Amino acid sequence: MDILEVKGLNKIYPGNVPYRALNDIDLTVAKGEFVGIMGPSGSGKTTLLNVVSTIDRPTSGQVLLNGADPFRLLSEGLARFRRRELGFVFQSFNLLDTMTVMENIVLPLTLDRTKVADMLGRAERIAEKLGIAGILNKRTYEISGGQAQRTAIARALIHQPQLLLADEPTGNLDSKSARDVMGLMSALNKDESATMLLVTHDAMAASYCDRVIFIKDGRTYTEIHCGDNRKAFYQKILNVLSLLGGDGHEFPAIRV
Amino acid sequence: MNFRQFAYRNVIRKKRTYAAHFLSSAFSVMAFFIYAVLLYHPDLQGQLKSSSQTASYLAKMGLTVSQYFIFIFSFLFLLYSTGAFLKSRKKEFGILLVLGMTERQRMKLTFAENMLIGVASIGCGIGVGLLFTKLMLLVSARLLMLEEGLRFYLPLQAVWMTAGAFALLFLVVSILTIRVGRQTSVLELIKGDEKPKPEPKASVWLSLLAVVLIAAGYGMVFFFVNYSAFFLWLLGLAVGCVVLGTYFLFTQLNVYVLRTLKRRKSLLFRGINLMSFTDMAYRVKDNAVMFFMVATVMAAAFSGIGACLSVGDPGRTERNYPYAFTYWYASEHGERADAAITRIDESLRGKGYSFGKSKLDLIYAGNSKYNLVSLTQFNELAAIRGLGPRELASDEILIASGVVSRNSSKHNDEAVMQAAAEALKVHGQGELRLKERVSDAVIAQTDDVVVLPDEKLELLRQEGAAAASAMYYAVPEWQETLELARELQAGLSADFAEVGQFSALAIEHYEERQLNGILLIISVLVGAVFFTFAASFIYFRLYADVERDEKQLGMTSKLGLSPKELARLVTRQLTVMFFLPFLLGMAHSAVAFINMANLTNTSMLNNGLIIYGAFFGIQLLYFLLIRWRYLSRMRRKLA
Repeated sequence: MDILEVKGLNKIYPGNVPYRALNDIDLTVAKGEFVGIMGPSGSGKTTLLNVVSTIDRPTSGQVLLNGADPFRLLSEGLARFRRRELGFVFQSFNLLDTMTVMENIVLPLTLDRTKVADMLGRAERIAEKLGIAGILNKRTYEISGGQAQRTAIARALIHQPQLLLADEPTGNLDSKSARDVMGLMSALNKDESATMLLVTHDAMAASYCDRVIFIKDGRTYTEIHCGDNRKAFYQKILNVLSLLGGDGHEFPAIRV
Repeated sequence: MNFRQFAYRNVIRKKRTYAAHFLSSAFSVMAFFIYAVLLYHPDLQGQLKSSSQTASYLAKMGLTVSQYFIFIFSFLFLLYSTGAFLKSRKKEFGILLVLGMTERQRMKLTFAENMLIGVASIGCGIGVGLLFTKLMLLVSARLLMLEEGLRFYLPLQAVWMTAGAFALLFLVVSILTIRVGRQTSVLELIKGDEKPKPEPKASVWLSLLAVVLIAAGYGMVFFFVNYSAFFLWLLGLAVGCVVLGTYFLFTQLNVYVLRTLKRRKSLLFRGINLMSFTDMAYRVKDNAVMFFMVATVMAAAFSGIGACLSVGDPGRTERNYPYAFTYWYASEHGERADAAITRIDESLRGKGYSFGKSKLDLIYAGNSKYNLVSLTQFNELAAIRGLGPRELASDEILIASGVVSRNSSKHNDEAVMQAAAEALKVHGQGELRLKERVSDAVIAQTDDVVVLPDEKLELLRQEGAAAASAMYYAVPEWQETLELARELQAGLSADFAEVGQFSALAIEHYEERQLNGILLIISVLVGAVFFTFAASFIYFRLYADVERDEKQLGMTSKLGLSPKELARLVTRQLTVMFFLPFLLGMAHSAVAFINMANLTNTSMLNNGLIIYGAFFGIQLLYFLLIRWRYLSRMRRKLA
């Protein structure tokens, strides 16, 4: 079953010289899938993610989440849709520094007026799973980047959204924390069968996905599947990246 | 780009952050300037002096005192706003220091910026003040009832004084605030606002102390008034207690209440509560200081205006002393006084005014402050006021309320009766009965007067009890008699100097109007200045954090905060900011009003309601304006 279906999506930024950021994008994400989106800078990755996450409106085309079109909703309904059906993880964590880790995690639930006992139970369970149970009462300026991103993931998943959208979640982390975070996301994807859409230009992060879609100049370029060898998948990603242009000579053509 | 250009561009290109600081500085310069223009106006001095000594003295005193007030508060205000402003730029300074700016250069930079704003606001304040000078002079001339009006003049003296005073003030403030942000490490500066300020220590005891201090302050004021303990130090102590108590109330109780609220999870984790409570807790220290300042300034403004309005009460003279002319004389001057009275009659007839007159002989009741009069004369006097006659049996008396009794609900019938009995005792009179207390405005005296049956008074008169007489004139068109009254006053005091005293309602009414005019000008200007300060405090508080708020609300709306919830969140935060200090200011000034009312025996209810109503209205408008601007800015950024 498809959770996300994107059909003929176009996004044009108006101006003296209109800029076409997305050009006829088609994309489907099935339930329980972990999909990565890669591409060079300015290729339209983040625009695509913003449109899917209903933060930005498409110029034409359709976005269907669970078969429904969220852009038909008015702004109130859109907000409610976002906090029930979607989860977000950002590059810069976007935690609220007025709150503790715990309060940050339960924020989406409080907005939805869930029962307090239920809320705290869920928060503890997910914190346990993400290894942040010990820092729940700390403030955001007291924790490390890896911990902050794990807090953000907990916040994004606590309401069991249909789709988790992650925008460069490892962009601000060192390689060890990045591996930890990606490992956790992949584990959550398998254990909780959470559907995830990840935008990144880090090949290592992308190699945790089931499938990676490459876009270039606002068009889908190609897509590759993981199979069962993550190392080989990583190599394939590097190969496509070097084909996509940029500094292809940095990557060895064959390294198995 | 040299250094001065750098400072200049900093200011010019960050207009919004400097705007509030600049505008309120310019406004206080303008208010100060307007006072100075009035104070130094050559015509004003002459005209007020010619019409009344008191009005002239009061105007000079009032204008001078308010000018000092504005100056002192401007100083405090500038100190706060400059300090707050520099603190909000910590990060910027951090970057500059990392790039190699020396501490000296940073000081030079802030000094140059401050002086730039100072010079600009002095220029603007005086400029706009000059534009409004003519209008102000017209309004003032009307309020002060100056017949010749006030000429427009180029108030060079006022310009120099304002410019000089504020240049000095900006200089001092610049020097005092130069050290803000020093001694912190560069790292801390760069981190800037990331780290929240430490929560002020809150304890039950300190919270209790806040309540106790305020209660003690209130209590002292009540004691001051009700037990007539008129020690200035007591009043000073009371104000000190209340100010300190207010500070603790906001720093301590605030933290304490928020902590309790946060501990109640079922309340905290519901809807937007989590966001608003944690946000308030995060800024509790900044907010506490701001709340404290606004509450204090508002309490001062309310009480000041209230005091002005309670002193000035248009129509009071007319209500209390309703007779157009009064001629007082000692009874032994009988014939000479008759000549004086004839002159008054003739001049009234000469101008064609209809009038009624009646004579009242007052006999002193022993050593008390109450006087005795006869029923016949009392009835005659009542008749020219258009009131019906009274009757008395031989052992009955009336008490006619004087001005004090008429204006208050407290009557001391026993003391009056005792004084009357005392005076009549010599004649072996039996018991006297009080028939009634007459509270119509017949007697134009401060104290109550005892009305006796004619034969009783006759006995006393034969006794030779010292007596004074007064001739009262009732003139329906008394308001037109100002000219006549002045002529009579001059003529009578020249020709009948030692005989008696002439007073006229028209003259007193005129002086009263002038007095009220002065008080109104002072209170409105002082109120406007204080309100601007309070409003600016709030504005600074808000705009110091606006970028952070934008970021936070942006994040949350991605997580699913709906526009309605956003509006509710902002409204809640702004409501607390705008109306919590207002409420406390109201409470403080209400206590002041109650005591003023007790002290002067007048009702402050109307004045109080007018003041609160007016300020609440303005505050509400300001609140709606800011809410609208703030929300539309947030929506624009989040869209």
